[in-house]
Amino acid sequence: MNETLTIALESMVIGALIGFGASAGVARMFHAPKVQGMGAFRTLGELNACENDPVAHFSFGLGFFFNAWASAVGTGALTSDVDHRIVPHWAAALSMTKNRNLDETLHNPRRMAAYGACVGLVLVTVLNTTAASIPHSLQKVAADVLGPASEWLINPVMPIVFWMAAVDAGRRSGGWATVLGGLAHVVMGNAVPGIVLGIVVGKGIDDLGWTRVTKSLAGAVMTLFVVSAFLRGVDIQLLQQMKADVPHWLTGLHDATGTTPTK
Amino acid sequence: MTTNDATTTAGAAAPAGRTRGKVPGEGSFWLSEWAFPLFVAALAAGIFAGTHLYYVYRTGTFSDVAVTAMLKGGMDSGSYGAAAAFGAGFLFARIIEGPMVGILDIGGSLQTGVGIGIPAMLLAAGITAPLEHFWLALPTGALLGALIGALILAIRRATVNSAGGTSTFGADVMMGAGNSAGRYLGPLVIIAAATASLPVGLGSTLGAALFYWWKKPLTGGAILGAMLFGLFFPIAGT
Repeated sequence: MNETLTIALESMVIGALIGFGASAGVARMFHAPKVQGMGAFRTLGELNACENDPVAHFSFGLGFFFNAWASAVGTGALTSDVDHRIVPHWAAALSMTKNRNLDETLHNPRRMAAYGACVGLVLVTVLNTTAASIPHSLQKVAADVLGPASEWLINPVMPIVFWMAAVDAGRRSGGWATVLGGLAHVVMGNAVPGIVLGIVVGKGIDDLGWTRVTKSLAGAVMTLFVVSAFLRGVDIQLLQQMKADVPHWLTGLHDATGTTPTK
Repeated sequence: MTTNDATTTAGAAAPAGRTRGKVPGEGSFWLSEWAFPLFVAALAAGIFAGTHLYYVYRTGTFSDVAVTAMLKGGMDSGSYGAAAAFGAGFLFARIIEGPMVGILDIGGSLQTGVGIGIPAMLLAAGITAPLEHFWLALPTGALLGALIGALILAIRRATVNSAGGTSTFGADVMMGAGNSAGRYLGPLVIIAAATASLPVGLGSTLGAALFYWWKKPLTGGAILGAMLFGLFFPIAGT
């Protein structure tokens, strides 16, 4: 019981902060690029699609609320829709109940931030407390079902989706993503970070050419891979699996830094 | 809640006596440039503290299941490389892109970057205090958010006047891939449910079909259906 209370109180603070920041950022999006906003282009489109009807905003948020609730109960992840969709839409719905003037409601950061803080406070508390207080049998179902599903998603589904997106985005990003993706699975145990970095480097070179920015970017990526490989002891594992002798100075260096591979 | 009362009254007091054609709040603090880091700080503080909740109580991250599972994988196995690199890569791309288009994407930058990537880096370095204590998590997140906001304003000042030579570093490609990766979760849940037990698999299928019929994302239906049938037909085993 004490734990649930702690979760509830912390969730209230978290929710109010989230709602305040996200809703003010969303309202500022309507003034971009003159004013720097934050949110997402899809949020902008979805908010406009509701054509300043509070009921449309509310029901749009409700659909994602069920999704977030199921995810929170099952895995403890509230989904990114909380900040992106539910809070902005419900804050918009509340602010429009009496006043349909867009300039004074959805596009007004002060009003949106105020309503957003209230929505966030209630929403995050509800999501977190219900997720924390579900019976044990349900937790087992969730773990047995969502555990394997999210493992499959991380490996191999997500790498493949990102890989194909990189290949479709052009020869350069496809090439970089293929090399870095394969290396990332060797070095980090998952290909996605490598593919993402490959897209970043490849697209950067596409757009800018080999400038100082892209050179330092590629250099930083290389460094990241070398450092991660060393920290995870991949160099020793590689030498061992190639049936080669591991030099003493290298073993000593890994022992000294506590980075000997666990396997 | 005192904050609650204060914000409601502030929100209710609609700006009055405006001249026609002037946007409410224009030129005020709420639409000023230097207010931006403050809003980012508020959101980042909440997101980082949400990850603290997850670290301690296993609920509360503001990321999708797949991304959260990366962090959980690190928490279980102790190797945070995947989560850290994924989050940091996204954060970098969004910080570059945000000032160019005038909209900072909070999904990649804050939810994935500050919520998953930076915590994973801290944990990989053995720094656990900001994630264990709520009152340390809030200022940590706020500081990170304020830095990101300030950085974006700095880039904006440097680039907003220079014509050409801009790149979003493939943020659109990543966004598309991220969105379509999320779509795969629904079918995966149904397959996993049918593997776990037959009744749970039936329930999951039914729930997903209903949600699809109601034009809602079928992942939620698949999860809820599995849970509901799992309540009546518990999965055997310890």
